[in-house]
Amino acid sequence: MDREDKKFSGGRRYRNNEITVYWKPSACVHASYCYRELIEVFDPGRRPWVDMNGSTTAKIIEVVNLCPTEALAWKWNDDEKNGSVGSDQLNHIKFRRPELMNTNDSVPEEHPVSIKVMVDGPIVLKGNFTLVYNGNKKEVQKSIISICRCGASDHQPFCDGQHRKIGFNG
Amino acid sequence: MGNTGKSVLMVNISGMEENKEHKSQAIIEVIDFGPLKITGNFILKDLKRDTKDSQGEVWLCRCGKSGNKPYCDESHKR
Repeated sequence: MDREDKKFSGGRRYRNNEITVYWKPSACVHASYCYRELIEVFDPGRRPWVDMNGSTTAKIIEVVNLCPTEALAWKWNDDEKNGSVGSDQLNHIKFRRPELMNTNDSVPEEHPVSIKVMVDGPIVLKGNFTLVYNGNKKEVQKSIISICRCGASDHQPFCDGQHRKIGFNG
Repeated sequence: MGNTGKSVLMVNISGMEENKEHKSQAIIEVIDFGPLKITGNFILKDLKRDTKDSQGEVWLCRCGKSGNKPYCDESHKR
């Protein structure tokens, strides 16, 4: 999952499957802990200069925590884990850049598509998915659609409420 | 869900737009005169039977005749 080098909030952000690292160049005082400790990830001579595949998550966290300024900060991609991070994690955004804590810049929606089979009703699909129908291919983003399950809709494949009229039981 | 009619359909379709930020997680394929084929990363909840599935692939009945709802059992062919 290489979704790196994204511009964000006065800098850039880089992520692997587990964490996001924020870089705020205006805060950097070139203390150089990052590249002295972990040139595989933090290489000022490379573009993008942060390669999140260059080491393990644990090592990246360790080195980001060495940064004496708020130039480098990190968070878990799983928001539930961010609440319980301890203060020993110096450069977690909770301590270093609390303004980022409630921003909804979470991982670009790698959440599974939610599919609900409604009682006596349609299939409700929610999330980011590719819908193929009648020879068309549509990218559906962050939205909800409902697909007829009773067979009686006049707007196939979508639900139009006919299941109620026909008393669909299923 | 619940309301009826075309207005609901219009709202649904207008929500479809390209946005490179969000990666498609599953392919939802409406098979002509057949079921809904779903493959990829998804969580399926069957609210009536209180069950939850997360599999790589499911086929859901669209004709209303399956004896194994919500799954397709090929009743549409009969």
